[in-house]
Amino acid sequence: MTAAREAIVLPVVFLTVLLVGGLRVADRTMLVAPTPYLLVLGVLVVRVLVQSRALAPDRLMSSSRSALANVNGLVVVATLWIAAAQTLAVLIPQSGVPRLAFSVFFLILLLNTAAAAPDRQRLLRSLAVTFGAAFVLKFVVLEGISAPGETPLKRALLALVDGATAGVLIQPPSHAVTAYLAFFAAALFLFGVLLLPHGREPSDRRLAPLSTDVERL
Amino acid sequence: MGETATRALGLCLALAYAALIGWLYARQPQTIAQVTGGLASVVGAYSVDDQAFADGLRFFRNDQFVEARLAFNRADPAVRDARTQFYVAYSYYREGWGRLYHDDRLYAEGLRAIDRAIALAPNGRLVVDDPNLGMHTAEELKSALEAGMRFEASDLNPMRVFRKRK
Repeated sequence: MTAAREAIVLPVVFLTVLLVGGLRVADRTMLVAPTPYLLVLGVLVVRVLVQSRALAPDRLMSSSRSALANVNGLVVVATLWIAAAQTLAVLIPQSGVPRLAFSVFFLILLLNTAAAAPDRQRLLRSLAVTFGAAFVLKFVVLEGISAPGETPLKRALLALVDGATAGVLIQPPSHAVTAYLAFFAAALFLFGVLLLPHGREPSDRRLAPLSTDVERL
Repeated sequence: MGETATRALGLCLALAYAALIGWLYARQPQTIAQVTGGLASVVGAYSVDDQAFADGLRFFRNDQFVEARLAFNRADPAVRDARTQFYVAYSYYREGWGRLYHDDRLYAEGLRAIDRAIALAPNGRLVVDDPNLGMHTAEELKSALEAGMRFEASDLNPMRVFRKRK
């Protein structure tokens, strides 16, 4: 990994996730920081990234590196943690039972991922599918249910859903740009994770002795 | 560029970007003008538009409060000047003042404006030497706005119709 990627690109990418993911566009635009619970989930994300070797911490901080390089590495890890928490925050619904369900779902999913100990490739696929599914559920399904009806039939259906679920599914209306910002934040986070300095894949490890022999020859 | 220079540049860039994001989270600006004005004030490069402020004062003294606020907003688009925010709050006070009742909505807006002015003033102390005003400090104005929003026994006193607007 080049110094520019480690010192400039990755912190900028993750800080941009923090900025864009925190935007809540409504009558009054607000920047919302991740909650302490989401910071804990962010730690779990970093943990599974390290476990799967999608992030090799020894390539960011070690005694063989200079102090400046270690500070750069620390900045990458810190911004990755905050960006992970913010990405989860943007994908979790704003209120009610869906918020609680998504919060518990992400916790169980991350614990399950840690227990399964996938390799880098599988973890990246898993994160992409999870984030994609959460995005669709929040911004397509729940938004669709909660959107104010334009026709009498839709308004009647909304009232029916609202009544049948005692109002626990209905989300506060959000600005149209919110979904685009959330998509951008999640995609940028995954892009940043893809750029992280990673360890060798198991297949690479098998080939490593062979490549060393070739180099000797 | 050498590796050390790249790393040092990256660290400075990341810290500056993080500081900017922290500032945005703390200040919660609502418009681009507030972002640019706020950043300009951080480096001491922000100034109020004197012409727009003079227009605002003229409207204010003619009891054209809506026009005055428009001009004050033009003068201080980033909402960074304590004196301008004081006049904005004062315009809400005068517009909302009535002999029989006060307009709570306008007083609430005035309270928000005077809170902004106090937050912007050095050490929270704000004195405006304007002989046309009945109140010259932020504390007096805030107290008058808060009192106007409370319902008290004195509100039932018929003599209140003889009170004068400050």
